[in-house]
Amino acid sequence: MGEKKKQPFLSVKDLKKSFGRVEALRGADLEVYPGETLAIVGDNGAGKTTLIKTLSGVISPDSGEIMIEGRAYQELNPRQALDLGISTVYQDLSLVNCRDIATNIFLGREPVRHKIFVDKRKMAAEAEEFLRQLDIKIPEIGVEAGQLSGGQRQGVAIARAIKFGGKLLIFDEPTAAMGVQESAAVLNLIRKLGQKGYAVILISHNMYEVFQLAKRVSVMRQGKVVATVSTGDVTPHDVVALITGAGEIAADIFS
Amino acid sequence: MKIARSKHFSQILLLLILLIMGVVLSFLSPYFLSWNNFYNILDQTSVDIILAMGMVFVIASGGIDLSIGSVLAYSGIMMAFAMKAGMAIPVAVALGISAGTVIGLCSGFLISCLRLNPLVTTLGFMSVARGLALILTKSSPIFGFPNAFKFLGSGRVGPVNVPILVALAIAVISFILLNKTKWGYYTLALGGNEEALRRAGVATHRYRASLYVFCALMAAIAGMITVARLNSADPLAGWMVETDAIAAVVLGGTSLSGGRGSILGAVLACLVLGMLDNGLILMAIPAYYQKLFCGLIIIIALVATELRNRKEHRNFV
Amino acid sequence: MKKKSLLVGLLVALSLFVLMGCGEKKDAADNKSGDVEAEDVVKNDAYTDLDRKILSALEPLPDKMEGVKIGVVFPTFSNPFYVAAKQGYEDAAASMGIKVDVVAGATEDDVEGQLNVFKTMLGKDYDAIIIVPITGMNLISGVVEANQKGIPIICSGTTLDKDAAAEAGAKIAAHMTYNFEEQGYVGAKYISKKIKAAGGEKAKVAVIEGLAGAFQGEGRRDGAIKAFKEEGMNIVSVQAGDWDRQKAYNIATNLIQANPDLKGICCANDTMALGVVEALKVAGKKDQVYVTGVDFLDEARQSLKAKELDGSVAMAPYITGKGNLTLALKVLQKHDISKQSYYSPIALITQENVNDYDDWK
Repeated sequence: MGEKKKQPFLSVKDLKKSFGRVEALRGADLEVYPGETLAIVGDNGAGKTTLIKTLSGVISPDSGEIMIEGRAYQELNPRQALDLGISTVYQDLSLVNCRDIATNIFLGREPVRHKIFVDKRKMAAEAEEFLRQLDIKIPEIGVEAGQLSGGQRQGVAIARAIKFGGKLLIFDEPTAAMGVQESAAVLNLIRKLGQKGYAVILISHNMYEVFQLAKRVSVMRQGKVVATVSTGDVTPHDVVALITGAGEIAADIFS
Repeated sequence: MKIARSKHFSQILLLLILLIMGVVLSFLSPYFLSWNNFYNILDQTSVDIILAMGMVFVIASGGIDLSIGSVLAYSGIMMAFAMKAGMAIPVAVALGISAGTVIGLCSGFLISCLRLNPLVTTLGFMSVARGLALILTKSSPIFGFPNAFKFLGSGRVGPVNVPILVALAIAVISFILLNKTKWGYYTLALGGNEEALRRAGVATHRYRASLYVFCALMAAIAGMITVARLNSADPLAGWMVETDAIAAVVLGGTSLSGGRGSILGAVLACLVLGMLDNGLILMAIPAYYQKLFCGLIIIIALVATELRNRKEHRNFV
Repeated sequence: MKKKSLLVGLLVALSLFVLMGCGEKKDAADNKSGDVEAEDVVKNDAYTDLDRKILSALEPLPDKMEGVKIGVVFPTFSNPFYVAAKQGYEDAAASMGIKVDVVAGATEDDVEGQLNVFKTMLGKDYDAIIIVPITGMNLISGVVEANQKGIPIICSGTTLDKDAAAEAGAKIAAHMTYNFEEQGYVGAKYISKKIKAAGGEKAKVAVIEGLAGAFQGEGRRDGAIKAFKEEGMNIVSVQAGDWDRQKAYNIATNLIQANPDLKGICCANDTMALGVVEALKVAGKKDQVYVTGVDFLDEARQSLKAKELDGSVAMAPYITGKGNLTLALKVLQKHDISKQSYYSPIALITQENVNDYDDWK
């Protein structure tokens, strides 16, 4: 496997994080290689969202190490993570409902004229063009985010995540609470992004999605990554077994 | 129907109220319709407008600042002391304004960095600033200032006086700040979804703190104008002005839950309330009715906006 | 971040500097005036006049009672009037050899706060308590409690609401009241006199009362209206200035707009009167309109001397303290005062006589 020889874009070692008495991460390890699509699966409360929030700098880990392109970090802040090329599309959508689509896409990176004035026209034009490129359909660029459908909002959130040239895109359950057609459009978009050379982390409960998009699957249970398997080598049933812990027991018995 | 759909519903409503009131008062009082009286209304509203400008930002960010009346008094007193101590006027003014701004800095720091509740925090600073003002002055006003300073309160520049000019300038600057700069964008985003802004890599606590500094700065400038106009720095100046400012801001279409702010609306609301006061006094209507009318206008405008918002909601969901 | 903390430090330092600088200066100024007053108070004819007046009203005077402990409950100390009054109580108590504690609520409209302060005082061992209620109602329940404990209550200033007090069974041992109506009456009479002296008849005048519904302001307003009517003046407007300078300023501007030939404005306190004066100056009408206030603030004195404000009705908070303490002793010595009513004396101070009232408290 040529991939293994490459340096991982991101690797995480022994990451721990507790919220009060709840240990969300108890020493998680993870590796993501440039250009690959990795799925993270696990039951509710397995620590998936906490793990990716530490990667995007929203949460600081208690201990452990995050290595990005060979450099080690104790923790990240959101700005650092963005600058290092990690963009995240959250499950709880991070759009400002009362602002328009363009403003949301450019949030935190508004273009300015004369160093002071936000260039509204440029934002609108670029946002519209960018959404068209990505084939994300929205009613009108001036509409407030709060008035969009779930799929449209997800589209805007994805557009924002990739607008500023990230290298790793993280999707936290991108199709949760979405209709069939909208899901298909979003998945299609993620697939295209993978083909364009982005590294992608996809968090999902949906085995169909996972096997369609990802080459490798990391399984989390109780705050740890308990197994990483290649989708070519296993069946969805095997993955489900790993998620619930039945797989290990089975393996123990057979060996 | 178009109006009801417009994003600027509150502002258009206020403009209508303003026009209707103007026409009605012109018929009811022979003294109303004159440049001189119009000028009076502007003059009387100038301080309210300045205060409301600061409040728009704070409320649009989902916060509130109850301390502006006290900061107004405190800044004025610091300015007065500095002048009485023989400092040059610009130095005294700068000192007084910084003194008030420091209070905004303190509340801003506590609210953004320690995540204290803005209502309670600014309530605390309301007492602190008022207390300082009363202690420092031993509760008697300081009065008698140089003419050059009084110019800031009543001096004329061309057809209008300094307070009107200052209010106008601040309104224009506030409009640009809120609608055209990153600072304004982040103010609205803070009120709409602070977490989204933080995840977008913006140091939200700094922006939030800066809003309270700005609001206190406006209060301090209002304090300067009040002292200069009345030739007296009163520790009880600006008593309850925060309620007027909050009423005007909310009336102007700024959302109390944050995320939406309107500078134009706040200015119009100040003018509506100012014109109402002026008209009722011109008509020699007793004070009790003024409070009644003022309250009614606020309630009517809020109800109209709320009803329209609900309709809007139905249309989209 | 560094830059910001530097800025913060600088601003804090600045404001501290101003705070300290001002604190010192103010103290120095106060000491100076304090020294002067100690001597001059006795020399001042106007002052001794009122002193004599109030003591003669209180005759027969009580015997000296050393060591008596008396509590005083004010509305607030955030008003110079009560600060002077407190001084009056303390000085009089020292000269009479009795112990006095003067306390107050937070603000002039914190009615519950004052009741709490009053009730706290009832828990201590005062021989008598002098109250200056914010309204006619707010201290009644405290007075009932005092009656049960047998602590005599002397009520100064605002009187208790008669019906409410009777219903609650609250009994006051003695009253020393301000005649608020008279205060407004005197000011309006003076304005009318001035207008007539200048040849004006049935001139347009206006009254600015305090906070709508406030007892003192309404009393002064009614007194002013009464005097203006007696003098045949044309009252064009009665407005509420909320005791606020800026409000009064706005009202005056609007009044002048509606009545360019206005001749007089009688205000329910000096703060408002001074706001009116500033507005008239800006409108260029100061010479045409006579303005009076009530309280004789230091600022009003300066304005009178500068020939801007026309008159201020002075109460004598300083002397009132002595009067009330004397009245308290009379109560403790069981003088029969049931048929007496006592009023705090007042004086009208004008541009002409203002120099006689230097160091007035």
